[in-house]
Amino acid sequence: MTDIIASNTELRKKLKKKSQVAEIWRRFRKNKTAMVGLFIFVFIMLVVIFADAIVPYSVSISQKISARFISPGQDGHLFGTDNFGRDIMARIVHGSRNSLLVGLGAVVCGIVIGGLLGSVAGFYGGTVDSVIVRTLDTVMCIPLMLLVLSIVAALGASLVNVLIAMMIANVPMYARIVRAAVLSVVGQDYIEAAKACGTSNFMIILRHVIPNAIGPIIVQATMAVGTMIINAAGISFLGMGIQPPTPEWGAMLNEAKSYMINYPYTVIFPGLAIGLTALSLNLMGDGLRDALDPKLKD
Amino acid sequence: MSRYIIRRVFLLIPMLLIVIFIVSFIMALTPSNPGILILGERADPAEIQKLNDELGYNDPFFVRYAKYVWNAAHGDLGKSWKNDNPVIVEILRRLPTTVTLAVGSILIGLVVGLPLGVISAVKQYSPLDIGGTVFAMILASFPAFWIGMMLIILFSLKLGLLPSFGIGSIRHFILPWVTTSCAFIASQLRMTRTSMLEAIRMDYIRTARAKGQRERIVIMRHALRNALLPVVTILGMDFGSMLGGTVTIETVFSLPGVGSLIIEAIRMKDIPVVVGATVTLATSYTLLMLLVDILYAFIDPRIKARYIKHS
Amino acid sequence: MSAMPVLDVKNLEVAYHTDETVMRAVNGISFSIDERETVGLVGETGAGKTTTALAIMRLLPERTGRINRGEIFYKGEDLSKKSADQMRLIRGACISMIFQDPMTSLNPILTVGDQILEALEIHNTDGKPKTALDARVDELLSLVGISPLRKVEYPHQFSGGMKQRIVIAIALACEPLLLIADEPTTALDVTIQAQVLVLMGELKQKLGTSMIMISHDLGVIAKTCDKVAVMYAGEIVEYGSARDIFEGRDHHPYTTGLFRAIPNLLGESRRLYPIDGLMPDPSALPSGCKFHPRCSGRMSGCDGEAPFLFEENGHRIQCNLFRKMAGQ
Repeated sequence: MTDIIASNTELRKKLKKKSQVAEIWRRFRKNKTAMVGLFIFVFIMLVVIFADAIVPYSVSISQKISARFISPGQDGHLFGTDNFGRDIMARIVHGSRNSLLVGLGAVVCGIVIGGLLGSVAGFYGGTVDSVIVRTLDTVMCIPLMLLVLSIVAALGASLVNVLIAMMIANVPMYARIVRAAVLSVVGQDYIEAAKACGTSNFMIILRHVIPNAIGPIIVQATMAVGTMIINAAGISFLGMGIQPPTPEWGAMLNEAKSYMINYPYTVIFPGLAIGLTALSLNLMGDGLRDALDPKLKD
Repeated sequence: MSRYIIRRVFLLIPMLLIVIFIVSFIMALTPSNPGILILGERADPAEIQKLNDELGYNDPFFVRYAKYVWNAAHGDLGKSWKNDNPVIVEILRRLPTTVTLAVGSILIGLVVGLPLGVISAVKQYSPLDIGGTVFAMILASFPAFWIGMMLIILFSLKLGLLPSFGIGSIRHFILPWVTTSCAFIASQLRMTRTSMLEAIRMDYIRTARAKGQRERIVIMRHALRNALLPVVTILGMDFGSMLGGTVTIETVFSLPGVGSLIIEAIRMKDIPVVVGATVTLATSYTLLMLLVDILYAFIDPRIKARYIKHS
Repeated sequence: MSAMPVLDVKNLEVAYHTDETVMRAVNGISFSIDERETVGLVGETGAGKTTTALAIMRLLPERTGRINRGEIFYKGEDLSKKSADQMRLIRGACISMIFQDPMTSLNPILTVGDQILEALEIHNTDGKPKTALDARVDELLSLVGISPLRKVEYPHQFSGGMKQRIVIAIALACEPLLLIADEPTTALDVTIQAQVLVLMGELKQKLGTSMIMISHDLGVIAKTCDKVAVMYAGEIVEYGSARDIFEGRDHHPYTTGLFRAIPNLLGESRRLYPIDGLMPDPSALPSGCKFHPRCSGRMSGCDGEAPFLFEENGHRIQCNLFRKMAGQ
């Protein structure tokens, strides 16, 4: 009998969760700008996934001095060619993988590590908490770009190192969100009850803390991916990130900046790619926030 | 209140120790050799070794850290390995450019972003609001350095109206200001809009309307002043991020600011300059945030009361 | 003086239009208030009491709230015909309102003195000097029992009861003819509640103000009101003098239910009889009598047409139970 009741409540919980997601999706769908963002993002993801089908990777790195600076639209080069005669569209298509990998990777790793630190700080409180909080606050005082640049300088310029550096710079923010979520549930009666029943801390975090923190984290993360893509591009632009000839949007801008006077299209297209990607993520993040928290709408 | 400020300033000390530690630690991992840097590649290896010893470069990390903290406490941030200038002099020479850039673009951001944010919130869901938020979103999505390049192409190369690099006159700063302010306009607009939307829904706004107050005054006197706290916070954070985050802008416009000093130093592995400049910027950032916290007290009497109680 | 009522609400209908639904919050209510009279609006949360008050003040949420039908006459003038600016000058000067939660209805960053002064300045049409207004602020504070010396303090330095006194001082600053008090004591401790009610009663006497007292607390209504309107799902289901409601023989089943749900310390009954069920969703109101799904005296026709309106010496009851009585 109790089993039936238990499975019943489980079922109801599942239904409720499902309907909650459906409700959020319904609200999100009504937000036109957010849907525009979603469409752009889906398009970019398709490009990322089918990059090789669109244009072979070799095209994006093959240099051909005779084909330098072909204007957009000529000789089958939709976006023209760069100073080494490489097809700009091919480089943008394949560069999307690196840019998104760095952006997504830095944010996801930041969430995992930040989440761990935040829950430890929130749960154990006391000295552990204040040490973690103080250290993270201090890291946040160092301007993000400088922190990333010095880490890259120490580790060497490469895609993985840029990713690691940006992940470290991301940790404090998510640690804060998760810690706040932990503190908001710790001490509440149902958590005390769960503890009294011998539920492990891990289960408590899984069951109670994550559902509480997931909303703000998703919103924050969606927008942060955009910011990280922009920052990664900035680092490559300074010549400290992904090294040529690997295609990456920021590195393309770095290479093209000396030629922008005569061949503006060499900087226009990679920049548009960065901007559109970040824009789609920002629009989606904004829509998600409204959909998750309809409080401000009436 | 003054006791609160003093207490906060004292709290800066451990924070600075951590910042110096983190930055020194990262830089200690960086392969560098001051002897070669100063004497050149072809110098006598024994000479290089001797100089490295003199500079304390071969000491264990913690000894170097302790020495650095001791010297920094006496206002000495060391000397550049590249040109033997005191680091503090290098920083002070570059700081005015960065501050000019920061102050100008923050002001543009505030003057444009704040009113747009208020209008967006008051006319929520109007075409103006939707247009404003989308505009802010677009500004925030494109990398500032790329916007800078586009502005150079348009205003310097095509129209020939403004100089594209250097710091000769105020005209040289127009494009960098506009470029950097884009992100601030976006962040000010969004923050003002959000916090105004929250403030407008407060009961005291209804009370003010029930008194028969003019809508304009309800918005300005009652809603906006209450909505200012987060706006001031963003202002401080923007300013802070400006101090270090303009590396790319300074590169695009060839401005000799602190950002470009650091990037040059990182490229040269000129560690004293990197550490000194980063620590200076982090300190300025925390001082700015302290200033923001103090500003809170003047905006909100409840916060002032809390400061006095806890000091 | 003329016999014209201070406020006359006729057949008022208000709805909130959101993207998804239409919430019919007030559905055709009529009542009037004479000079120096207090009318109570009583009912559960969500019955449309506050919406009625906001509609009178024309402070309904701009985007969503809409008066669909009916008129509100203030001293014979149709308020819906006033321009926004004319209405602004009526608010605070002729009709003012006290809100439910004193904790949040004062601006946290202005001194209480400034907030009272603001009301005076807005309606200072005859150009009184600043000193006279300052003196009036002191007078108002003393009137509500707060030392005028405290006018330089901020709301967070006052207790809840004190804040409500300040809210009352603001509402009475321009000596309005009509005061709408929306649950003025709900957020306060019981002992403070009594103090505030006594204060409001005294001031009403002194200034000759008419009042709409909104409450879900029958005790508060009994202490303060001359006439009572019992609201349910946006309708006035019973309306009459305080005597009719508290001592009369005939009642709407909902009113009866409300009384049975009050703990009675003197009576023999030790049990509470809550009304079964919940207030209907204002976006999906039942047909016929809105109360029929919860009514113990429900009859066959109750879910069809609008219920019978019984009237006897100004005591109105909207209920089919009284159809027979009226026929006799």
